[in-house]
Amino acid sequence: MGRDILRNIQKDFLVEFRSRFALNVSASFAAIVTIAISLTAGGVPFPVPVQSILLWIVIFFSAMNGLSHIFVREEDQATALFLRISVSVDSIFISKFIFNQVFMVIILAVVTPLFLFFLQVQVQHVAYFIFSIMAGGFSIAAATTILAAMVAKAGGKGSLFTIISFPILLPVLWISISSTSAALSTPPPTGGNLLFLLAFSGFISVISFLLFRFVWLDD
Amino acid sequence: MNKTEKMNTAPYTITGEGLARKFGRNTLFKDICLSLSTGESLSITGPNGSGKSTLLKILAGLQNPTAGNIGLASNGPIARMEWHAHIGYTGPLVNPYDDLTGWENISFAARRADAATRAVLLLDRFNLDRHRDKKVKHYSSGMKQRLRLILAVLNDPPILMLDEAGTNLDTGGTALLHSYLESVQEEKIIILATNDTQEEKLCREVIRLG
Repeated sequence: MGRDILRNIQKDFLVEFRSRFALNVSASFAAIVTIAISLTAGGVPFPVPVQSILLWIVIFFSAMNGLSHIFVREEDQATALFLRISVSVDSIFISKFIFNQVFMVIILAVVTPLFLFFLQVQVQHVAYFIFSIMAGGFSIAAATTILAAMVAKAGGKGSLFTIISFPILLPVLWISISSTSAALSTPPPTGGNLLFLLAFSGFISVISFLLFRFVWLDD
Repeated sequence: MNKTEKMNTAPYTITGEGLARKFGRNTLFKDICLSLSTGESLSITGPNGSGKSTLLKILAGLQNPTAGNIGLASNGPIARMEWHAHIGYTGPLVNPYDDLTGWENISFAARRADAATRAVLLLDRFNLDRHRDKKVKHYSSGMKQRLRLILAVLNDPPILMLDEAGTNLDTGGTALLHSYLESVQEEKIIILATNDTQEEKLCREVIRLG
């Protein structure tokens, strides 16, 4: 299975970075929204809770533009059957999961510095801030991998993905916003929020892995 | 020698009992029974919409029958999740990645340690060696079909299931396909879904649907 996973990851990165569709759309969205917020603010810094809410709104919608693409592309380009007969169903899920995690890290690496720079955000606890962003991003990518597979098998594609993701990701966004606010504030934060995000990611990843074959295989 | 290479030496048997498939109230086919072992071949024929491709997908484990059982064995039953490693399947809906070259698609599908050597021989045999570094989106329909056939036989699977294998092939391509099938007939189970009488004649048994 390890070789199947490696072959599929290699193929997915090759296809994605040759077209760069998902990456370009997500990065462009992140840059445009961040600059638009910055211009609207007119140089006046937002309160800390508003800063963290805005940051996670930008991260959430930037990610939504690209995270579903990994499965939707297979259906849109009619390559899903070729994928299915070439690698095992478990390795499909694991490789797509890893791809989405790497994609999310790239989105975070683009969005976060832009946001900090344009909105003049002062981070009080840098290590906690980085962990909060990474844990929140990991949770979003973990939960959306199986949702992307479900959406790809349905007809709605992109818009449906954002709609069905929102209720599942609401607790993740809530805790990530709270955790980011704590990192931007003076009092030292506690680790409870980060533990929740890691526990959520682990739980949703295992459940997704177990359910994936029922989503992906035709009846 | 790796696992995939070892499995090709043992004889295989594919069995189907009482196979039926319905779409809504429409019964596509029913009560189909078959048993094929290594060295045997079967063609599935019938008019358009009679269920040739559906039956082939069921036999390949890619779709469930509405009724009946299907099994694959070689020194004991093989779990259905593993069938893809034993079956070389292709059909009109098996599309290689357009943004990758022919060679990159082959590399993706390659499971055997000696797949690269086999791929070079197959590219030469199917006259696609000059186009291996072109992106698939620049291939003609016939070249895509040749690539599909290479991908199906790349890992030297003990079972070949080809749906409309001769589609879009010119006379030379068809001759290559037929000579390849004849050359491997004794060592594999071959199942073709086809309306081509020449391809039908390559197989020893026939199921007519519809």
